[in-house]
Amino acid sequence: MRLQVILRYVGIILLINAVFLFLSAAISFLKGDSAFFSLSYTFLISVLFGVFPFVFVPPAKEISSQEGFAILVSSWLLACLFGMVPYMMWGGEFSMTNAWFESVSGFTTTGSSILTDIEALPDGLLFWRSATHWIGGVGIIVFALAVMPSMGKVGMALYRTEVSPLAAMNFKLQTKKTLEIIMYVYAGLTVLQTVALLFCGLPLFDAVTHSFATIATGGFSTKNLSVAHYGSAAVEVVIMIFMILSGINFGLLFMAVSGRVRALFTSTVFRYYVIALFVGVVLSVINIHGTIFTGWPDALRYGSFQIISIATSTGFATTDSNVWPPFVQLLLLFFTLQCACSGSTSGGIKADRMVIFWHAVKKRIKKIEHPHVVMKSKIDHIAIEDDILEASLLFLVLYIAIVFLSSVLLSAMGLDIMTAFSASAATMGNVGPGFGMVGSTGNFSQIPELGKWILTGNMLLGRLEIYGIFLFLLLRFWR
Amino acid sequence: MGIRAKILSGFMILATMLLIAGGWSIYELKNIGLSVQNILDENYRSIDASKVMIESLERADSAVLLILLGRKDEGLAILEIAEEHFQKAYETAGNNVTISGEQSYVEAVGKAYAEYRESWPQVSFNPGNGKDSSWYIRESNPSFLKAKQTVSDLLDLNTRVMYKMASHSESRAHRATMPGIIAMASAFIFAIVFSFFINLYVISPIIQLTSGIRDYMERGKPLNIRVESEDEISMLVSSVEQLINKSKI
Repeated sequence: MRLQVILRYVGIILLINAVFLFLSAAISFLKGDSAFFSLSYTFLISVLFGVFPFVFVPPAKEISSQEGFAILVSSWLLACLFGMVPYMMWGGEFSMTNAWFESVSGFTTTGSSILTDIEALPDGLLFWRSATHWIGGVGIIVFALAVMPSMGKVGMALYRTEVSPLAAMNFKLQTKKTLEIIMYVYAGLTVLQTVALLFCGLPLFDAVTHSFATIATGGFSTKNLSVAHYGSAAVEVVIMIFMILSGINFGLLFMAVSGRVRALFTSTVFRYYVIALFVGVVLSVINIHGTIFTGWPDALRYGSFQIISIATSTGFATTDSNVWPPFVQLLLLFFTLQCACSGSTSGGIKADRMVIFWHAVKKRIKKIEHPHVVMKSKIDHIAIEDDILEASLLFLVLYIAIVFLSSVLLSAMGLDIMTAFSASAATMGNVGPGFGMVGSTGNFSQIPELGKWILTGNMLLGRLEIYGIFLFLLLRFWR
Repeated sequence: MGIRAKILSGFMILATMLLIAGGWSIYELKNIGLSVQNILDENYRSIDASKVMIESLERADSAVLLILLGRKDEGLAILEIAEEHFQKAYETAGNNVTISGEQSYVEAVGKAYAEYRESWPQVSFNPGNGKDSSWYIRESNPSFLKAKQTVSDLLDLNTRVMYKMASHSESRAHRATMPGIIAMASAFIFAIVFSFFINLYVISPIIQLTSGIRDYMERGKPLNIRVESEDEISMLVSSVEQLINKSKI
């Protein structure tokens, strides 16, 4: 393992961070707010730390898969570390733990916040907060694009760490091409949503920051009441559309945009994702109608927004779902665990693995019926080998086990079961809000300090698909 | 890039980080000092003046009651002193308008006080006429309370702003210390990275070269040193290799 090579490539991530820090500092300067120095100083140290390895370390001709993996995980950790600096320097509600929590929540596109008064933050810092979502959402892909020329085969290994095996196989494209496609879709969606929100009457600043948070399926809003602040059905519809789009595999989305719409509808994962969303919306609307909302239009408006927001792991809110019937809360918890498709910026177990899971269940039932039958598993004409099946199911079990373990730890700190479980699931799935103290209109400020560290661990585990962090922490890996 | 430039760049980066952080800390600390001075200069003076105005109004009210009770001389003397103190304090408040919107508060005090003051001749020229208690309740007391309320509003405004400024100073103190802490942490990490690079790209190749030459001289082992960088070290290694090759011939 060549540490110098890792430092060189991690430097690129710091330079990408620096670009957004510069923009945030510029906004801060123009608005004359109090975050200018904290943002510009972080910009400076990011540039210095990012550029310095280039002075010493020559470009590597080849990078081993282990090094590529270390670059990936180190990039996430360092981005979060440098990302917390502006918060810490600015002060306010940001202690060291809170700054780390907010930064990790931003970069992992979780959207959970410790802030009780978001609007007290200066505009520069609010922009940086939203930008961390955007960088986080695309970070790994941009990074892979930038370092790809010198990484060779490692590129694919890197890519597979980020998405599920099924999604990786869905692309019959070269890795570099795939990553480029994702970048175009990502940037295109951001611009489109910004324009749409501007048409709905949002100021440019709000439109950009909310687009950053939507496309990255993050959920940081610049308002204390989240999207409810605007009280506009048009804004909510625009955000809902882009939340659904952001939850789709970006490669499939690009195919659809470039005229191959059939590819979208022949995808089992896409069909499952859309049907699950539809069923979720219908069930929640029926349940909240008459109990929470008297009219069907309100039930449809708030029910669909909340389900879509959680099911895509975005986490925006337009109402307090804490007071909703238990059935809808459980439905939301299911979507908190499942989330959207691989190959998007969504977190959670992902629809792909759910499809594989149901496929495995079907296969097992057939095996019980016909014990001697030899079966070949296929999804969308792609053969699902036993090791892929096993890996996906193991991931599912490990995922639930981690959520359970962190829930137990949070409960031991005095949190009620609903808060503990939903906070664990929401952070692990990079969703954002849960229930109880951490509900859609609440925040994570009341969680004990140690609890916040556990939850940030969940966010990173969820973002790096569990194995990433485990492998990184193994001493053997570094030898 | 040559070794000299590389090492220099490392030290320059360290110095830049520390200098800017230090500079900003000094700037913020200086601002805290100014903020404290501002709190004293701007708000405390107005708060003090407001308190004097309230006290003067209360004394004037007592004086009016004394006159109504027939103790005219004593009442007029107190009224005169109260008037003098109020005007002095009002002038201080008027000359110390530093908060946005404070001017309107000061003007409201002036207007309410003038209204209150208009009632004085009635009592000072016609004391003890039998209608005085109802006149006091109907006219004098409400205008006294109104004047007192406007001064209280001015006092509240200045107290609120003073609290805000004090809180702001606390944030500034935080911002003054944080660059130092961040700079120290960054410098520490940077120093580790810097020494790692120096060791890897400067010291290690020199050690390898030294032992390689020794091995060649003692055991005739061929020189085999891999240098990644393209600087003086790689030039030195290739020069030594050329020298060895020449000496073989």
